[in-house]
Amino acid sequence: MKALLKKELAFYLNNPLGYIVIVLFAVFANFMFVKDIFVTGSASMRPFFDILPWLLMVFVPALTMRMIAEEKRTNTMEVMLSLPVSETQLVLSKFFAGWLLTAIGLALTLGLPISMYMLTGQVGGRIYLPEVFVGYIGELFVAASFISISLFFSSLTKNQIVAFLASIVTIFFLVIFSTDFASSVIPPFLESGLNYLSPVVQLSGFSKGIIDIRALFYFVSFTSLFLFLTVVDLERRP
Amino acid sequence: MITLTEVSKQYGHTHAVEDVTFTAQKGEIIGFLGPNGAGKTTTMKLILGLIRPTSGKVRVNKLNPLIDRMAILPEIGYLPENNPLYGDMKVVEYLRCIAEIKGVTDPQKIQDIIENVDITEKATAKIDELSRGYRQRVGLAAALIGDPHILILDEPTSGLDPIEQEKIKNLIKKSAKNKIIIFSTHVLSEVEDIATRLVIISDGEVVYDGDKPKRTGGVEKLFKKLVAKS
Repeated sequence: MKALLKKELAFYLNNPLGYIVIVLFAVFANFMFVKDIFVTGSASMRPFFDILPWLLMVFVPALTMRMIAEEKRTNTMEVMLSLPVSETQLVLSKFFAGWLLTAIGLALTLGLPISMYMLTGQVGGRIYLPEVFVGYIGELFVAASFISISLFFSSLTKNQIVAFLASIVTIFFLVIFSTDFASSVIPPFLESGLNYLSPVVQLSGFSKGIIDIRALFYFVSFTSLFLFLTVVDLERRP
Repeated sequence: MITLTEVSKQYGHTHAVEDVTFTAQKGEIIGFLGPNGAGKTTTMKLILGLIRPTSGKVRVNKLNPLIDRMAILPEIGYLPENNPLYGDMKVVEYLRCIAEIKGVTDPQKIQDIIENVDITEKATAKIDELSRGYRQRVGLAAALIGDPHILILDEPTSGLDPIEQEKIKNLIKKSAKNKIIIFSTHVLSEVEDIATRLVIISDGEVVYDGDKPKRTGGVEKLFKKLVAKS
């Protein structure tokens, strides 16, 4: 699996696509936070953690849309499936490559909490770094669930644009289930169920620095389910 | 040993292959001949377990390639039609990756294959920058990694100039010892040169399975006779 992971990462390191997507993500994430910080005047990273899922909604599918769809289109998937490697290993290598690249994108925003920590220290009331750390862990879990969705759609088509759009639409609905707008349009009997399905709702504890076991269970199950469906699709023989 | 017993593959109402039966033994180089769309690639994919037969039985070393693929695939080297490769990788990176997947850890073995297929001077080049002939040799090198007992080569010389064709033919001959080699081709002279046995497939059915004719030009005559008849 190490070889497969290296192969996946090599693509993004040898091509501008990976760098462009990661840098754009970092630029937007930093900008979206900084633009409001002086307006709100609040020394908290929570607004930043609330914005991130919206950015990840675009960033993750852009990064992962090609991972299986392109291999199917160019027939390199046939080469892979003729090698002694299981479909699970193939999917997991792609998942971990996507996760690692997302983690790099998130790491490029670490300047925000660090500078905020230093700035707020001068006026008292420093931000609490463990809370920020847990917030980032939560975002990594959100990213993992989005990657699993994108990989699944990438496995269903040979067209990476179709995979990209299908992923964005699905993730958009999952994110929007957490908003007040959704509560106003969704029938009450569906509301709590759909609300629970939203990764953003599950993230709320992490944003406050709380590791909620139920949320962890949700993220692990959600991610595993879509990875499993992706493996099932690859195992399917026409 | 590879055994296909009354294997059929249907796509919708189209029969890609029908009741194909043949056995391939160690030491045989089987020339798989047939016009376009005859079912050669389908048969090769069935052997590899890349597609599921509609009916019939495929066995590689007595194992079912759909169920026991992890046990079978280390024994098989495959060069697919059109030789899809990762164009953004360097030749040596690609071969190292395949070697790692196949569990070959000795770098000398990769170096030996690079020298055998004569791509030393292109080892650090990006695959996308290679000519078709070199790409084909990279594909063949990948198939040869791990010294598999079975080589399945789908049109290994397709689109190559006569000099490149000759090189690939020599490589196949060189790699043949104690292996089962099944290669498909349109070039009848190739079969005459390297095959020890001939299987002709037409409209999804095996119309000839036996020794290749000994006379020069015999393969062409036989092929034309059988394919025209079917």
